[in-house]
Amino acid sequence: MAATNAPTNIEKEQIFGMAEKEMEYRVDLFNRLTATCFDKCIEKRYKESELNMGENSCIDRCVSKYWQVTNLIGQLLGSNRPPV
Amino acid sequence: MAAADGEPQAATKEAEKPKIEPLRLPTPEEIRGQDIWNNCAVRSVVSGIMGGGLGLAMGLFLGALDNPLMQEEMSTKQKVIYTAKDMGRRSLRSAKTFAVMGLIFSAAECVVEKARAKHDTTNTVVAGCVTGGAISAKGGPKAACAGCAGFAAFSVLIEKLFDRHD
Repeated sequence: MAATNAPTNIEKEQIFGMAEKEMEYRVDLFNRLTATCFDKCIEKRYKESELNMGENSCIDRCVSKYWQVTNLIGQLLGSNRPPV
Repeated sequence: MAAADGEPQAATKEAEKPKIEPLRLPTPEEIRGQDIWNNCAVRSVVSGIMGGGLGLAMGLFLGALDNPLMQEEMSTKQKVIYTAKDMGRRSLRSAKTFAVMGLIFSAAECVVEKARAKHDTTNTVVAGCVTGGAISAKGGPKAACAGCAGFAAFSVLIEKLFDRHD
């Protein structure tokens, strides 16, 4: 009865481990997204520190596409377990 | 003893290493404030107003240099009033022209840059062509082409001037 009422120590550790992995995954996703869109959208030589409108819209599109690709690949990986 | 040794070491280490601040992402208010300048309508209206101001100043200045036709019967005071009215009319007309020019140019450049997602001189060329063509469209297609080419070259020149200045 005590096992069904409160999560055991092992379960707590599992949940904590999963949350940690999820956090690492999110941080990694953010870093990769930033690096990719920065490399794609911003030229190597620039004359001012503010983002101009072209770069702004490029970054918007880049982030949107990256997010869609991530979701799509996640769905493809999650749906059918045996690889095609 | 270990504690006394450890404490001054830790203090000097913290004094040497600069404090790394955590990553501060912009708040929605900041993003909205920056996005106001990204809006094409706002940008073109502000450009139009600035163009109007420039036209007003230029019209006033150039109108002061010109002598309008006057009749000799008017007294000095009437001459002054007449000159002032003429200067005002000329500067208003010039302000309207410049405001329209600034509006069209800024709107065209904004739309083209947003669509291409690149910051180039091609945006300036296309915007200059559209503005020049729109202004001299009344003279027919040949005048429109000439106005397009001329204004595009002029705007590229001005852009290069400002870039070098910055």
